[in-house]
Amino acid sequence: MPALAEPSRPELAELERALGADGGLPEGAVVPEGDPSTGADQPTWRVDRGSLVAVCRALRDSPETRFDLLLDACGVDYPDRDDRFEAVYHLYSIPRGERLRLKVPLSEDDPTLPSLIPVWKAADWFEREMFDMFGFRVEGHPNLSRILCHEGFEGHALRKDYDPARRWILTEDKMYTPKFVDLPPAGDDDMFERMTVNIGPSHPAMHGTFRVMAVLDGEEIIASDVEIGYLHRCFEKMCETHTWQQVIPYTDRLNYCSSFINNVGYCRVVERMLGVEPPPKAVWASTILSEFSRIMDHCVCNGTTLVDVGALTNFWYLFQIREEIYGLLEACFGARLTVSGTRIGGLLADLPPDFMERSRKILEMIPPLVEDVEKLIDKNRIWMDRSVGISAISGEDAVDWGWTGPCLRASGVGYDVRRAHPYDLYDTLDFEVPVLYGGDVYDRYKIRMLEIRQSVSIIRQLLDRGMPDGPWIVDDPHVALPPKDAAYNEMEAMIYHFKLIMDGIQVPAGERYGMVEGANGELGYYVISDGSGKPYRIKVRPPCFPIFSTFRELIRGGSISDAVATLGGLNVIAGELER
Amino acid sequence: MIGESWMTTKFEKLEDWAQRHSFWPFPFGTACCAIEFMSTVSSHYDMSRFGSEVVRFSPRQSDILIVAGTINDKMAPVLKRIYDQMADPKWVISMGACACSGGFYRAYHVMQGIDEIIPVDVYVPGCPPSPEGLIYGILQLKEKVARDRAREHGEGRPPVEEEVQSASSGGTLPA
Amino acid sequence: MTTAEPTTAGPTTAGDGQAAPPARPRTNVAVGPHPSEPEPKRYSLAERLYLPLVGGMMVTMKHFLGNLLGRRKSYTIEYPEERREYSHRYRGHHILTTRPDGSVRCVACFLCAQACPAECIHIEAGEHPDENIEKYPLVYEIDMLRCVFCGYCVDACPEEAIIMSNNYDMAYFTREQSIVGKNELVKPYTFDEEQLGYRPSYPEEEVRRARMRRDAFDLVSAARAQSEGTRVPNAEESQREERAQAG
Repeated sequence: MPALAEPSRPELAELERALGADGGLPEGAVVPEGDPSTGADQPTWRVDRGSLVAVCRALRDSPETRFDLLLDACGVDYPDRDDRFEAVYHLYSIPRGERLRLKVPLSEDDPTLPSLIPVWKAADWFEREMFDMFGFRVEGHPNLSRILCHEGFEGHALRKDYDPARRWILTEDKMYTPKFVDLPPAGDDDMFERMTVNIGPSHPAMHGTFRVMAVLDGEEIIASDVEIGYLHRCFEKMCETHTWQQVIPYTDRLNYCSSFINNVGYCRVVERMLGVEPPPKAVWASTILSEFSRIMDHCVCNGTTLVDVGALTNFWYLFQIREEIYGLLEACFGARLTVSGTRIGGLLADLPPDFMERSRKILEMIPPLVEDVEKLIDKNRIWMDRSVGISAISGEDAVDWGWTGPCLRASGVGYDVRRAHPYDLYDTLDFEVPVLYGGDVYDRYKIRMLEIRQSVSIIRQLLDRGMPDGPWIVDDPHVALPPKDAAYNEMEAMIYHFKLIMDGIQVPAGERYGMVEGANGELGYYVISDGSGKPYRIKVRPPCFPIFSTFRELIRGGSISDAVATLGGLNVIAGELER
Repeated sequence: MIGESWMTTKFEKLEDWAQRHSFWPFPFGTACCAIEFMSTVSSHYDMSRFGSEVVRFSPRQSDILIVAGTINDKMAPVLKRIYDQMADPKWVISMGACACSGGFYRAYHVMQGIDEIIPVDVYVPGCPPSPEGLIYGILQLKEKVARDRAREHGEGRPPVEEEVQSASSGGTLPA
Repeated sequence: MTTAEPTTAGPTTAGDGQAAPPARPRTNVAVGPHPSEPEPKRYSLAERLYLPLVGGMMVTMKHFLGNLLGRRKSYTIEYPEERREYSHRYRGHHILTTRPDGSVRCVACFLCAQACPAECIHIEAGEHPDENIEKYPLVYEIDMLRCVFCGYCVDACPEEAIIMSNNYDMAYFTREQSIVGKNELVKPYTFDEEQLGYRPSYPEEEVRRARMRRDAFDLVSAARAQSEGTRVPNAEESQREERAQAG
């Protein structure tokens, strides 16, 4: 079975027919550039920026294509080309399960492109990030300002000529000024003054690093703006300055609540680019530990949401689950939280001999604690008053805003990468993908509890199959470090060892978008290699980035306490959001 | 005011004892270290055994500022403001590689250690430090506070930095 | 509040790993309408009287009284009196291993410094008088505050000169203290199994490793023994010695 899902292949003809049906596109506006039949990982079109909006609208609306989800939009810098920059959009069609990549070449003198917000609202923050990192001027964007770097930053960080260590000091006069979108004008009948309240970034409910500026009319939030970037750690630039193996500890720190899943996602993409398959033991263990990580992440999310609304006891119960899983991860890889558990081609080390017993013991321990929390919370009127109907979002809106993962499944759209594009062992397992229809805070909490149960069932099935025998990492000396006794004694192994450390794994030139189901949604890695030992560009598609961009709309009309409950339920992890 | 008498010195000793056994931390948590901090206050390690039952998210009501997680240039003014808002006496524990030195993020937006802007009393290395490591750091801080106080009140004990050459050789391991 | 049935088809799977992947629908869009407005919640009488909260309090009381009366074992680990048993793969404080004569095994090849993503290892090489060894580190410093404890240095070392212990007790008062040098990293408890953490081999393979280590690295003692004219133990004697050590 494949170690990573093969992206689906839409019929190119039907797409072109769909576009032709719209008509009116100039010659050469859309040029198909790549296709799985020619070796690309998904169909790729080169689109002229003047036709971009029309093409995207057709792709979204026409019944043959129905690309309703904008997964990612990023920029890439190719200083050697005439058109130095490229804006890359990754699209997905949930009803059809098809993917498409659009590339828009931009020249260095005039890197402008039209905003895609009228087509997909998810484009909002992605375009701000393109402006921040590359300097693309997006026309028609309501608030084109820096999103990750601070306002005192000069230059565009992900351009190839930007020195990675060049820092800028933020002074108080350059702090971000909020821009309130759709702020109702003040009328004469307002008895109360409007007040703008700043919440965060150092605030317990803001999970450390988000800043929300809310305009309040009495108790009701009528408009708000969100500022992020307080944990922007330059992951993508660090990837460009380190070797392929050295990127793995950086990926740990993306979604640090379930760090193993990030490792798996990255390694699977690079393995596909290299053309190696991890051995069955590594795949089996990766699936089990990914599911444990998913359980861990849902525990943190629900635990902290409940703390934010005042239900502290559940936090202790859910964190006990985390501690037990930490014990297992530590026994396997030597670290509790940031495990760096995979290597390209397999795992860091062989599994410990007591892996199965440990896992089973944890599986026994999880359901009673989860049930305790549910007894405390599920029918608790206080919690239900605070969460049912709060910040409800419909499935269509959620897809328009780019949501994936449990938050989307709580709104009625059952898209799960493990089911739609199976990787590792998921296509051989019998599990359900829970879907709820309320789309409110209660459903987002409830769906995580249901998913914890499904993950427990998955792990149980895998443990019942037994551990496969064999190596834990691929036996290719160009990819994995040779085993230590060979490296100590044989000259050839020593040379491979030396080259892998000094030069890094030589990944063939090319690009690939690979995805896994993170605990928050589709975690994608768009990886471009130029054939050397260091990545050329890695763009992480963080699942919580589009979800959090909706926040200002979700809290409109509610009170601050509703905003707090909403933020918790979205499971926004700053490490992933801001990389 | 009254002058040093037996009563006031005993009272000062009581005050110092109470102070260092009831550190109220302010977890300035941004990243992964904040999750390990949450583990420390959870039932498995339970920092409230050291007097830190109350984890106050307000700088006005806390003693120690535990900076857990990466601080970048955007967050730096916020951190400085929070530190300034804390009332004396206050101490700072820098938890984790990123807060101590920037960690492996030698990058354009990351502050290479919070001691660029605020004075740090204890550095706890690790990425993230395990909860035991953090508790060890708090115990080291407790020792430091005890010695500093004792010196303020005229007892001639040397500062703990001079006595402990490198705390990494400490712990319960044989010398 | 409605809870929908999960919409996925439930295929049959065989219990063993060789089952052919069952046919699954390729996408999972939920079918059926969803309410555009959340359904108005109608509380039952019990809920309106907040009675289910009593059930919740029972859960809390069960845990509380259980811990208080000692009937259930408390989860808390009373650090520093009790220490958690971490595995022997724990990535803690680094250790520079030594040869039998007390010198560090490190040959200053710079692989660990190159492999380190944080660039926290600083080495200055010097020439070793013995030409079998060639180099040794004059200065070997690790900046503990930069280190992310990823273990890449251990993976990279060709001499098993750097390993990690399971010591997590580290705290420093100044930045200068945190730069640990060679003397700090070489610890007498290097071969105390209890204190060791992440390293290239584990007790499962220890016998093989011990033999390999001796074969590969005791060139110094063998060469010295030969030059001094004393007898180098032969294979049979080495095996006997090894069995005595293992037993």
